[in-house]
Amino acid sequence: MSTMSQKNDGKRSARERMQEERAAEQAKARRLRKLAVAGTVLAVLVVAVVVGILVMNSKTTSYSAAQAPAGTTGSNNLQVPVGAANAPSTLTIYEDPRCPACGEFEKSFHTTVNQLLGQGKIQIRYHVVSFIDRHNPGDTGSKNAANALGCAQNVGLFHPYHDVLYANQPDETDDAWADKGKLITLAKQVKGLDTPAFESCVNNNTFGAWVTAVETDFDKSGYNSTPTILLNGTSAYPTYNGVSISPQSLIAAVDAANKGKPLGTLTPASASALASPNS
Amino acid sequence: MITSQQGEAEAPVARGAVARGPLRRVPADVLDWIGTAARLALAVVWAWAGLAKVSDPETAAQAVRAYRILPESLVRPFGYGLPFLELAVALLLLIGLGTRIAAFVSGVLLLVYIASIASVWARGIAIDCGCFGGGGAVAASKTEYLQEILRDTGFLILTAWLLWRPAAKLSLDRWLAAE
Repeated sequence: MSTMSQKNDGKRSARERMQEERAAEQAKARRLRKLAVAGTVLAVLVVAVVVGILVMNSKTTSYSAAQAPAGTTGSNNLQVPVGAANAPSTLTIYEDPRCPACGEFEKSFHTTVNQLLGQGKIQIRYHVVSFIDRHNPGDTGSKNAANALGCAQNVGLFHPYHDVLYANQPDETDDAWADKGKLITLAKQVKGLDTPAFESCVNNNTFGAWVTAVETDFDKSGYNSTPTILLNGTSAYPTYNGVSISPQSLIAAVDAANKGKPLGTLTPASASALASPNS
Repeated sequence: MITSQQGEAEAPVARGAVARGPLRRVPADVLDWIGTAARLALAVVWAWAGLAKVSDPETAAQAVRAYRILPESLVRPFGYGLPFLELAVALLLLIGLGTRIAAFVSGVLLLVYIASIASVWARGIAIDCGCFGGGGAVAASKTEYLQEILRDTGFLILTAWLLWRPAAKLSLDRWLAAE
C-alpha cells in the first residue's frame, strides 16, 4: 500500500512522513515490549524450576541407619529380620501393610511360613514398604502402619504384630490406618506391645524417616509390585522356577534348597520374637 | 486478498491477530474470548497437575522413575522440577503473560508426556502416568494409557489454539500492548 501511495503522489507531505516515523517508533516500542515480556516469561520458568528443585530437596527427609528400629539389618538397616540368623535359606518379603495381594499371601502362607521359621529352615528379611498411600494423595495408612511395625520391631515384637495387622487389614481403598488409634487398638492383641512408649512411637511417627528410606529403596529396586517374595534371591511368588507356589510347594522348595545344610538355631530372643504358627 | 487483510488490520475491532481461513468471518471479540477460555482451562489443568505433585518428593521422583526412561541421576531433578514448571505455566496462562511462549512450553510438555506414556505402553510396563499426582507401578489391568493419551491430546488442542492465536481478553499481554 505504501509503495502504491508513493507512486501516486511522488512527493509526500511532511505530515505523512511524521506519521510514518511515529508508526515506526510505535512498532519498535511494541517489539521491545514483546521482548521484555518474553524475557520475563523465560525468567519465570527458569526460576520456578530452580526454586522447585530446591524446595523439594529441602522437603526430603534425611535418613541415617542410626534412625532405624533396633535389630534391623541389611544396608542402612532397612530390613527387619525374623527367625534364626544362621538359617540355611533366606526368604525376602516386600510387603505393604495395605496391599490386598499381600493380605492374600499372608492368609494362605503365614501358618506355613511361621512353621518354617520355627523349624530354623528359613530367616525372613521383611521390607515394609508403603506405596499404596500414593494411589490416593493424602493417604497415610501404609506409612502409619509401617511406622507402627517399626515401633513393634524396636521392642522385638514385629512379627506377631505383623500377623495381627494382616489379619485385620482394611479394604485397599479404605485408608482406615490413617487413624493411628486403630493401629494402637490392634497392638493390644500382642502381649506386652501396647505400652505408653509404643503409643507415643506410633503417634509421633518416630520411624517416619526409616519408613521413607525403606520405600525409596524399594522404588529403586526395580521390583514394582507387592508382595515380592524371593527365596534365596530368586523370585518365589506367584511362581518359583516356573512352578506355581503353594504352601506345600514352598516347603518342598525350601527343603530342596536346604538339602545337606544344617538347620538354623533360634536364640531365645529370636524364638520369642516369632509369631505363633497358629495365630 | 491483500486488500481485505489490510482492511481488517485497520478495523478497530481486530486488535489481536487477524483471523484467516474459515474463522475470518468470526468477530475478533469472539475469538479473543475463546482464547481466554483456552488459557483458563489449561491454567486449571496445569495448576492441578503441579499441585498434586509437590506434596511428597519421593512420590514425585518415583512417578518419573517408573517410566524407566531417565537414568537415576536425572530422576530427581525432573521429578522435582516438572511440577513447578507446570505451576509456572499455569500462572502465566492465568494472567495471560507471554501467552504464546507459555503455550509453546505447554505443548512441549504435553508432547513429551504423550510420547512417554506411549513408550511405557509399547514396552509393556504397567504404571499410573502420575499426571495428576500418584504414579508408579500398578496392576496391568489398571493401566489407562489410551485415556491418558486422549486426555493429553485434548489439552494439546487447546494449546494449539493459543499457539496459533494467543490474543485473548483479560490478559496482561493485551494490557501491556505486547501482543
